[in-house]
This record gives sequence, C-alpha cells and structure tokens, in this order.
Amino acid sequence: MTNAGIGRWSWMALVSGFIFLYVPIFILMFYSFNESRLVTVWAGFSIKWYGELFRDEQMMSAVWMSLKIAFLSASMAVVLGTMAAIAMVRFGRFRGKTMFTGMITAPLVMPEVITGLSLLLLFVTLSQALGWPAERGSVTIWIAHTTFCMAYVAVVVSSRLREFDRSLEEAAMDLGASRLGVFFRITLPIVAPALLAGWLLAFTLSLDDLVIASFVSGPGSTTLPMVVFSSVRLGVSPKINALATLLVLAVSMATFIAWWYMRRQELIRQKEIQSAFNK
Amino acid sequence: MATEQSNSQIENKKLVQLEIKKLEKDFDGFKAVNNISLDIYQGEIFALLGASGCGKSTLLRLLAGFEMPTAGDILLNGQSLIGLSPHERPINMMFQSYALFPHMTVEQNIAFGLRYEHLSKVEITRKIDEVLNLVQMAQYAKRKPHQLSGGQQQRVALARSLAKEPKLLLLDEPMGALDKKLRTQMQLEIVDILESVEVTCVMVTHDQEEAMTMASRVGIMDAGVIRQIGQPIEVYEQPNCRMTAEFIGSVNIFEGTLSVDEPDHAQINCPDLPVPIHVAHGVVGSFGMQLAFALRPEKVRVDMEKPANAHNFARGVIEDIAYLGSHSIYHLRLPSGKKVLASVANSDRLVTGDDAPRLTWNDEVYLSWSEKSGVVLSA
Repeated sequence: MTNAGIGRWSWMALVSGFIFLYVPIFILMFYSFNESRLVTVWAGFSIKWYGELFRDEQMMSAVWMSLKIAFLSASMAVVLGTMAAIAMVRFGRFRGKTMFTGMITAPLVMPEVITGLSLLLLFVTLSQALGWPAERGSVTIWIAHTTFCMAYVAVVVSSRLREFDRSLEEAAMDLGASRLGVFFRITLPIVAPALLAGWLLAFTLSLDDLVIASFVSGPGSTTLPMVVFSSVRLGVSPKINALATLLVLAVSMATFIAWWYMRRQELIRQKEIQSAFNK
Repeated sequence: MATEQSNSQIENKKLVQLEIKKLEKDFDGFKAVNNISLDIYQGEIFALLGASGCGKSTLLRLLAGFEMPTAGDILLNGQSLIGLSPHERPINMMFQSYALFPHMTVEQNIAFGLRYEHLSKVEITRKIDEVLNLVQMAQYAKRKPHQLSGGQQQRVALARSLAKEPKLLLLDEPMGALDKKLRTQMQLEIVDILESVEVTCVMVTHDQEEAMTMASRVGIMDAGVIRQIGQPIEVYEQPNCRMTAEFIGSVNIFEGTLSVDEPDHAQINCPDLPVPIHVAHGVVGSFGMQLAFALRPEKVRVDMEKPANAHNFARGVIEDIAYLGSHSIYHLRLPSGKKVLASVANSDRLVTGDDAPRLTWNDEVYLSWSEKSGVVLSA
C-alpha cells in the first residue's frame, strides 16, 4: 500500500517536473503557427511567421553574426583552454599553481555583469591608450566570449588529461618521437573527444550569451540574443516564436544525432570486444 | 649442434652490453637507487626482483631515460647514455600497461616507431610483417587494441618494442596485467621469442616465479641496492644474506652461536633446538659469534620415529596442515614455541577411507634435515 502511495507520488512529481520544464516551450512552439499578430490570441494555423522571419534582414544578419562569433570564440577558447589545462595538469608543482588553477576557473562563477563591465572598461582604456580597438564590435565580442569560454574548456580538458595514461606518452617517446611529436600524434588525438566537447560547450555558451555581448558590442554588431531581447521589449512578435521553434528543433536534432552516433559506436565496440574474447 | 649453441652462449656471456656504474637517483632526499653497479651481458635476460618500492622500477626508468640519474653512469656498448633523452636511446621498453596507442591499429602501433628510422614504405611493411609473424599476430594487423584480449595485447606490445631492433629491451612487470593461467604460458613464449631474436633484456618484476622462469640471471633488490646477483638456482639455494633468503621462497631461520668450526664441518648451538646444528663445511668466523641458519621447507623431513642421526633434528607438534595438492605444508611447533614450516611432497595418492597411518593435527613428530641442506648466514 505504502509502495503504491510512494509510486503515485513520485509519478506525480515526475510529471509535474516535466510539465514545468517543457510546457512553456511547447506553448511557444504552438504559437509560432498562429495566424494572428498577437502572440497569445489563437486565430488559426499558419506558417507565415516563418516566411516573415526569413525576410527579416536584421534578424538574419544577427543569426549569422552570432554563429560566426560562436564559431570563432569556441575555436579560440579550445586552443587557449587546452593550453591552460596542460599547464594545470602537467607542469607538476610550480610556484602559484593553486592560484593559477583557481584564477583560470574563476570566470565560471564570476557574475556576467561584472565580467562584461570589466571587459568594457578594458576595451575603453585600450582604445584611449593605444587606439585599439578603434570601435567595439564583433572583434571585442569575440575576445570577450573567448575569455569566459576558455575557462569552461580548461575544466573539461583538464579532467580528461588527469585520467590520461602517461605511459602512452612515454611509450611514444621511447619509440622515437620528440615531445612535440608525442603531443600531436598521441596526446591530441586521444583527448580529441574532450576538445570537441569543450568546443561544443563554448559554442552554445557564446551563442546564448546576452549580458557580456551587450556590454562589449558596438553599433552594427548585434548578436541574436540581443535582437531577441530588444524586440521582446517592444512586444513579442510571432517571428520570435518561429525563430525559437527552429532553434529548439536544431538543438534537439543535434543532441539526438550525437546520442545516436555515440550509442552506435558503443555497440560496435562492445561487439568487437566480445568477438575478440570469443576467438 | 647443442654444444655449439652452449659454446656460443658462454662466448656471449663474456661480452658486456650494458654497464651501470655507481648509479644513484635521489628523490627529495630519498635514495630510490643507491650506488648500484651492474653489468648486463649480451643476449641475456636479466631480472630485477624486489618488493614494490625497492627502486627496481626507478632503475628501469633510468635506463629508458624517463628519469635522469643524480650520479653515476650508464654505458651501452661502451657509450654513455647520460644526457640522452628516451627517443635518442637505442633502447625500447614494453610497459606494464602495454601502452598501446588506442587510436591506432596494431599495424599503425608498430609502424609508429619505424617512421622515425627513415625507412622506405616497403621496408616498413616488411618489418611489420616480420615482427607480427614473430609473435603470431599477423591476422590481427588491422585490429584496434581494444579488440584484442590481454594476451594478444601483450604480443603486440612486444612486437612493437622489438620492431626497432633495440640494443636493449626493457620489460616492466611483463605479466602484471595477465591472469595466472595465461602468465605461465606467456612467460615461456616470451622467453622463446626473446631468445630467437637474441636481444639483451632487462626485466623488472615482483613475482619471483616469473623472474626464475624467464631470466638467466636475477638481481635481488631492496631499499635501492642490489643484495645478490646470480642464476635463479644460486639465489634460491645459496642466498648470501637473510633478506635474500627470506624474499625468495619461504625459509626457516634458526638463530644461534658458533660452537665448533673445523675446515670440514661446523656446529651451531641454537636455543630452539635440542641438539646442535651440524653443517658439512667450515664457517669462517669466531667462536660464539651470532649466526643464522636458513633451511628451506622442502628440505625438512617429517617422520613419526626418532631419526638415527645425532644432529639436525627436533621434536615438534603439527599445528596446521595446508594441503596444496602436489605437496602439503606442515606448520610445526617446537617445544620452545618456535614455528617451522615443512613442505612434504604428496607422492602417495591419498584416498579417503584408507586406514593407512597418516600425519594429522596435533601429532607428535620428528623433523630432521641433512648436513648439506641449509645455509649459514650472518645474523
């Protein structure tokens, strides 16, 4: 009896949790097919807002800008974050290691407003002192995003490096590879999944960022979250719903494909291990 | 044919391939390797045997070049290796974890080292085939390491370390990752392979059975120094100190004082024994000096009746019997409380229900040994 009671309660908790998480998103997607200008009044099915969305040049250029910045920031963050991770994991004990480790991960907990403001002040000071950057725009957003994304990459990559079997590197050296050769032919390929994970994380973080980008952007460099946020203040257009629906679809597709691919690899691997032992 | 081979082996033994001279390695004041000098002969398999933390792995890593010595020299064919990094040394190592590159196939793993030899593609393919045939893994060339069983991975690791035809091969706990049954099989296989390519080999192990099966000479290491070097039979039958005697196999140690010392025999008075220990050789020492007499369990006889000899026996009670199939270990307690192990071969088939008298728990027995079966060591 008590078991059944607990069962019912946990089912209710589960269902209400999922409702809480997903109903808002479903409502948003539902209204993207609304005929009416007014988001909350249903006036029949239509896909005209999707057409409107693709005709909206400001919106499209913001999408393009966001993707470009996300791609560049993620790539740069992977390079710098990996270097930081190697320093944290590999350089043994050096003076100030604890402080360095703490400082590299500090941006994870730093309020975005502070990060944004401090970067803005930096860019203003730099442009006054050196004349660069002459004006804020996509380059400053890129630098800002790289700064905070790098911390996430460093955390992901360093955890992978910590469990790395050092004898693999020693074996490669033993077989004739120089330190640089070992890094590019052994270490990098083996930690590549972590680099990819770090890159994807950085890409989504950059794509999603509104606060920091608002601080360091300038005229002519508006990212997608900024456009969405500012247009919502003037009243929600069903175009935004259409855009959100497309984004949700893209994200779910990407997640599903990644999951399917990894599951397939795992199954193949299991099968191969089985066949190796049955021989 | 056989004489020719043994002649050439004796000839080879004279050629020193690797000279370790007063080598030292200091880790923050802790001497992991303490003033070791050692010669390794061409074509031999030398095993460094010791408990974990005795410095054997550090010594191996010094040879490979992963650690730099604090003092001393390492000469390979007369040339010093000090200052050369691992990739500059004509030495290859087989790692305990095998360290096969997980993102490469068996073939690519072996080709990895060959790429640095400036060989043509044809030459590289030929060498890969050669070493894979040597370890009988040719049909697995396209597999990735995780698709191989433990024994197969070990063969690939061995092939990879032999592909560059090193002057010296290092094996780090070669059987550490295998289960017991596979171990005995692989030990002999690896020795066959190593002997067929005639490579000089230094291995490190904590498993004395492995060292004695595989190696032609064994070095017993303890606390950064080598206590004894010799053929397996020497270190087992003629240990030069208590540490070696106790480390290799099990041993009964009787402590006593020297009472008779003639050129052809000596006697030791041991408070645990009713009669003196009689040994069939002289002991160079002074009367009354403290000695230890080491006696292997399989050299102890266990009888119901009192033996006829005047020396080398004692009375005891069977406290425990460990039946191990091929032999049994009797745990005997002497009247003084001293415990003695005796290993007795089960040469007769024991059948339950058989009424023949048999030694059992709490039986009063006599243990005895011959005058040549023990070793006298300094206490």
